[in-house]
Amino acid sequence: MSWSEGGGLEERTSRGMMTMDSIGEARKQGRTALDELAGKQLLAGFGIAVPKSRMVRDAADVVAATAALTPPLVLKVMSPDILHKSDAGGVKVGLNSAAEVEAALSVMMKIPAIAGARLDGFVLEEMAQPGQEMVIGGLRDPDFGPLVMVGLGGIFVEILKDVSFRICPITRLDAEEMLGELKGAALLDGARGSRPVSRAAIIDALLKVGGEGGLLMTHAQDFAEADINPLIVSESGAVAVDARFVLTQT
Amino acid sequence: MTREDNGMNADVLDRFKPLFEPKTVAVVGVSAKSMALPNVFIRRIREFGYRGEIYPIHPSADEIDGLKAYRSLGDTPRPVDYAYIAIAAAQVPALLKDARGRLRFAQVISSGFGEIEEGRELQEQLVQAARAVGARLIGPNCLGIYSPRGGVTFAEIGSKETGPIGIVSQSGGLGIDIIRRGFGRGLTFSGLVTVGNSADVSPNELLEFYLADAQTKVIGMYIESAKDGRRLFEILRNARAAKPVVILKGGRTRQGLAAVVSHTGSLAGDERAWVALSRQTGCVLAETLDEFIDILHIFQTLTPRPQATRRVVLLGNGGGASVLATDYFSRQGLDVSLFGKETVDPLAAMRLPPGTSITNPVDCPVGTFQQEDGRVAEEILDIIYRKGRPDALVMHLNMSAFVGRSKPEVLDNLVQAALRVQLRYPGQAHFLLVLRSDGEPVLEERKRAFRASAVAMGIPVYDENANAGRALAAMQAHELYLSARNAPAGGDQQRR
Repeated sequence: MSWSEGGGLEERTSRGMMTMDSIGEARKQGRTALDELAGKQLLAGFGIAVPKSRMVRDAADVVAATAALTPPLVLKVMSPDILHKSDAGGVKVGLNSAAEVEAALSVMMKIPAIAGARLDGFVLEEMAQPGQEMVIGGLRDPDFGPLVMVGLGGIFVEILKDVSFRICPITRLDAEEMLGELKGAALLDGARGSRPVSRAAIIDALLKVGGEGGLLMTHAQDFAEADINPLIVSESGAVAVDARFVLTQT
Repeated sequence: MTREDNGMNADVLDRFKPLFEPKTVAVVGVSAKSMALPNVFIRRIREFGYRGEIYPIHPSADEIDGLKAYRSLGDTPRPVDYAYIAIAAAQVPALLKDARGRLRFAQVISSGFGEIEEGRELQEQLVQAARAVGARLIGPNCLGIYSPRGGVTFAEIGSKETGPIGIVSQSGGLGIDIIRRGFGRGLTFSGLVTVGNSADVSPNELLEFYLADAQTKVIGMYIESAKDGRRLFEILRNARAAKPVVILKGGRTRQGLAAVVSHTGSLAGDERAWVALSRQTGCVLAETLDEFIDILHIFQTLTPRPQATRRVVLLGNGGGASVLATDYFSRQGLDVSLFGKETVDPLAAMRLPPGTSITNPVDCPVGTFQQEDGRVAEEILDIIYRKGRPDALVMHLNMSAFVGRSKPEVLDNLVQAALRVQLRYPGQAHFLLVLRSDGEPVLEERKRAFRASAVAMGIPVYDENANAGRALAAMQAHELYLSARNAPAGGDQQRR
């Protein structure tokens, strides 16, 4: 195992919201994407809720990190070499104590795909309340510039490709129409016995990502692709649980 | 509209006036011995009624086709508003050098530029040469311009009448198709510019011209490469669908999408951005040339209604055709629902012959339509308009079913009846006519004449119900966009 450079949470937070720095830093290190923490800081900077988290480098950090958070927690590996954390065994959910976190950490570090990768560390994070999983995406189109996408999470995006795109910047009406276009939109209103979720929270997140002065317009030159997957939406709000920002090639 | 917009409008109109209404035309590439394409161009614009001066440019001949010829673009008696240039690609940049300060638009027909790898640099030289002499470049690799208001055309056949449709086409051949097919369908144009590689003047700039041009009521674009898609988006968004814009998109690029790694990237597909463009700006996407023409035709003839079209009444002869049309219209998001009692009762009271269906679709066998030489239709229509209150009425007539069974004027009477009812209920419903035929020559001839008179009365005419349905759905989409975007805040917003 080798630690890649990039700094731990303490160094990062001590420098505050440093979006441009983290993009420049990622480029300087030859990375193709922002790491998860940098991506979430970026989102938070645009007013999108992200779960409270702490960076964990090794077992020595676990107790303090766990004490600062409210369980249940999730532990996630953070590495430029690992694109799909779950597939690699790098995600463990439902951790309720420092002992459980330590155990999960020790299991993960023995997984060959993780042991052999460059590691930025592990994110220990409060788990979002259950809700409807959504995906908000971004894409830089060679003709039209930044596009924003929305879809329902899971099979709706991956198998049914039930998504809607718009050219940035979008208006509130555009965002409403995007949701209306989704074939699975009825699920948002509480189909099949589920509780309705907040369309307003999704629209708000869409505008913060794809609206005038939003993330994608502000960083039109920086990102080739973006995934906020999932954005977990409840009756009252939306939380970006994972985020991936792929840098443009310069 | 702000004063700034007015200023910009005036500016773009001034800039393009010499292109659409050239006072002087130079033609480069004419032959003294044979009928080369530029010679044909001269013949065409003379026949078309061009009234300005024509300057053939030729290295040695003194006269071409009865016109005094000049050695170069620098030797013409007056500056040149529009030059039609069809010579070997490599010679064009040098040719332009002679035109310093006295050439407004150079349309370069020649190919061998940016459309091929080896021609990229030459195209750059061409752009530089035009810029250096202060000329705007149209093309290269295109076919010409058709501007009835200026008496200029590159097409052999086309209406001399200036109309409401403005076209920009990145394909020359398709431009000719649009003019010729449009001619047969009664489409008339405010202009059509083929822009080929669009090395200088872009489709976006011409879109801006047509948006500002008072003559143009509807805009059609054939686009293979957006060139500057973001600019296109901004122009259309700012225009707020003030004029319907119909886009026929050719060529599906995967450029830039080859290396996607995210979900979003892999889901982006080829046309997502174009679909988004249409949803956000109200422009209408056509998938085929026929659809493009069908949609332009409805916008040319009918005025969008403030309340979006939903309820459609189908009236015609042919049960199966009615059923198929109902299915197709429904799939397009149009509502062909049964009449209520308030409409059915008065229709039933008319005691129409057996076999007549009066519920929407209204299916009238020829026997019903020919009652009183077709004038019975007026009473049916009046009840439909008064009680059924449709947003659109589509009258479909299977012409072959009338042959040998009714007097020729029955068809005329039917349409006249429809028009009289239209006038009694002004602005209530769009009226579309579908003339179905089997291609039999005599019938086609009759249909042609019938179509021409109908279009002259402002009625869009279609060959099949599906064509009418697609065009009406485009009208609906445009109306929905306008009503959603222009509604007061908190008003009725359209959701699908």
